[in-house]
Amino acid sequence: MLDKKIKNELMDIVGPENFTEAKIDMVSYAYDAMGSKGTPDCAVWVTTTEQVSKIMELAHRERIPVTPRAAGTGIAGMAVPSHGGIVLDIMRMDRILEINIEDRICVVEPGVVYADLQKELAPLGFTLPTEPGSSIVSAIGGNVATNAGGLKGAKYGSTKDYVLGLKVVLPDGRVLKTGSRTMKTSSGYNLTQLFVGSEGTLGIMTEIILKVVPLAKATKTGLGLFDALEDAGRAVIQTMSSGVIPSVMEVMGRYLIQAINENTDLNLPEVDTMLLVETDGYTQTEADAQMEKIIEIFKKNNASEVKLAETDAERTDLWAARKSTYPVSARLNNSILVEDVTVPMSRLADLFREFGKIIEKYDLKVAMCAHAGDGNFHPLITYDGRDKEMVAKVEKASDELFKMAIAMGGTLTGEHGIGIVKAKYMTLEHGETAMEMMRVIKRAFDPHNILNPGKMALDG
Amino acid sequence: MKENYRFEVDFGEQILRCSVCGFCQAACPIYGLTRRPALNARGKMLLLQEILNGQMALDQDLVETLFQCTGCASCEVNCPSGVEVPEILRHVRQEMVDRGTCHPAFTGMNDVLRTAANIYAESQPPDYMEKRKVNQRAEHVYFAGCVGAYREEKATEATLDLLDCLKVGYTLIDEVCCTGILEDVGYTLHSSKAGTIIDRVKATGAKALITGCPYCYRTFKNKAQFRGLAESGIEVIHISQFFMARDFGVTTDQVVTYHDPCDLGRHGGIYEEPRTTIKKIAENFIEMEHHHAQSLCCGAGGGVRGGYPSNSIGMARRRLAEAEAIGADVVLTECNSCLHNLSNAKLRRQKMKVFTTPQFIGHLLEEKA
Repeated sequence: MLDKKIKNELMDIVGPENFTEAKIDMVSYAYDAMGSKGTPDCAVWVTTTEQVSKIMELAHRERIPVTPRAAGTGIAGMAVPSHGGIVLDIMRMDRILEINIEDRICVVEPGVVYADLQKELAPLGFTLPTEPGSSIVSAIGGNVATNAGGLKGAKYGSTKDYVLGLKVVLPDGRVLKTGSRTMKTSSGYNLTQLFVGSEGTLGIMTEIILKVVPLAKATKTGLGLFDALEDAGRAVIQTMSSGVIPSVMEVMGRYLIQAINENTDLNLPEVDTMLLVETDGYTQTEADAQMEKIIEIFKKNNASEVKLAETDAERTDLWAARKSTYPVSARLNNSILVEDVTVPMSRLADLFREFGKIIEKYDLKVAMCAHAGDGNFHPLITYDGRDKEMVAKVEKASDELFKMAIAMGGTLTGEHGIGIVKAKYMTLEHGETAMEMMRVIKRAFDPHNILNPGKMALDG
Repeated sequence: MKENYRFEVDFGEQILRCSVCGFCQAACPIYGLTRRPALNARGKMLLLQEILNGQMALDQDLVETLFQCTGCASCEVNCPSGVEVPEILRHVRQEMVDRGTCHPAFTGMNDVLRTAANIYAESQPPDYMEKRKVNQRAEHVYFAGCVGAYREEKATEATLDLLDCLKVGYTLIDEVCCTGILEDVGYTLHSSKAGTIIDRVKATGAKALITGCPYCYRTFKNKAQFRGLAESGIEVIHISQFFMARDFGVTTDQVVTYHDPCDLGRHGGIYEEPRTTIKKIAENFIEMEHHHAQSLCCGAGGGVRGGYPSNSIGMARRRLAEAEAIGADVVLTECNSCLHNLSNAKLRRQKMKVFTTPQFIGHLLEEKA
């Protein structure tokens, strides 16, 4: 519980109307899209860097935990106030400060929703191409803090590839500027990238300079159906090493296809593996030529059927299957867990097959899909969250998945982040020395461990 | 200690199925205005999950969020897990009221309707009734609804003038409130009022009941208490459906846009009928950023205008900002309640006009004459 004096100070900083300790707010701020593990004492809505700075000064002085929060759509628990204290909601810092196409940059506050930025960029012929699955709702601040990625990672990378500079409030209230407005810099430590993916443990971003890229003028969509996972796996590897980089390459497994058929009117062919692919370019000829190459590879690898979208309507139809993945899965049971381990592309088919054995062992229902082009595996595990035995099985399966991905030379998370749920596996991936260096960095920025404590195994 | 709640029986599974993904934040008009997660559908479902887990009680502390929802259903339309939030809230509110907890504005509304014929407790009939047929035999009955009768009389009068102009055989009736809104805010629809409406409509011998109010339309169409209308062969239609097939012989080159009322669109599935009429008269018709099933609520519904007026106006201003962004000269809608809220929210610098479609057609006819 915070004492009255501290609450009054917070109210002085943000105004009484932007401070809350109401029960309804404390419940909603106890959660992000992962769930809950701790309740805050209060929350504040901030609108300026100065307010954030004053709050951190106060929190630093009084040793109060602060959990920064954007849209709260993260699924690893990084916005959950596991140590109580203050939730600092940045969603009212939502101004696009500048779009400068001559310099190919934009400058935004952290609460700008990804889709809102895209709406401003698109008419200018530009884009921030990371396109996370939560693009309609997640905020740029959260995207940067988790190094979010999406469908287009294979060609366009993830958020880290677009962050040029930041304004950050440090845990003691000082304000730091990193990076520059330039396309490149080799000046000093790359502090910008240190903050990208730091999950709000090192500082609170209040301004973000992003690189933007031209929006592809033409796209082509195609589909390959495979009766054997191995054939699809080989098709992916050969595509990615053919010189053509598809803008999207999604793989969907049989159970997912069946679930979609049972819950929609899409009538997909119930094959073992489906590959959905998109190419893009400056001209249609360019997009078509790349797709031609990919289709040739699909056929060479025993695709039982290939389809090409010739019209916008056909394109929409083909994408409807992928787009329905989450809604269909979310309705299969009352709980859903989406993992995002990532492995070298050549191992993705192995991961599909081996994880298939694990889910069979635990008798779990799992819709399997992946961003095949960058090895990012997305099993959607649906289960009854009230059934303790089932929950234990899901945890065991996840545990085995993490260990398997690491053993294949992969990573715990391609785009969702570590947060609370994967913290205990950090040493497994990074080793003791790297973890000690991460903790040294954390202590250098935040000696009292007040900023988003309990995340990424950095405590201690 | 966990209590047993009635809503758990019908909606417990659905409430649990909310995967707390937060996608509803993108569509919720109250979250969009306030950026307060507790007011969004996810925030509401989280509270209900806590209640069902025995962590919280269904008490007065929850009124501010559980009674602050316009019922616009944009969350439901966009929910990956298929959670029917407005229906859940309707039942939860009824249970809260049964336990003695409610927002005072809604308690007041219920108290008013115990004795009064309309939600504003107006005792005099609206002026437009004076010179028109009332409770007489006719092919159609026109039903204005409380807002149309007592807050947006000019819009209603314009609609009636248009019916007159088209020589439609209609009568008005002595209206009583359909009381559908009471079910949304925790109380019960008045069967006696429903009976009065049915009897008065039947007495006219009309084949169709035309409503100016999308909420009345929903209520007459869907509520069991109004089954007597269908059983008597009386078709319920909204005025936008009635006017769709008509030709008015007027056009405008002004930039016109259309605001989908939630009760007509998402709840009633009526999107194209108003647009068909508007496109006949407006060559420069432009959609706002959010339209059809993704339309942005004006903030008036679910009793929010009465219970939380400041946020209600704030939501209307967000909608008007969308109209301003496309350079609209005229914002049309098909709901007197939307008309009322949008008109009240309009800033002095915003020069666009807000009308119902019949009202705008009436203006064009006047100009032509």
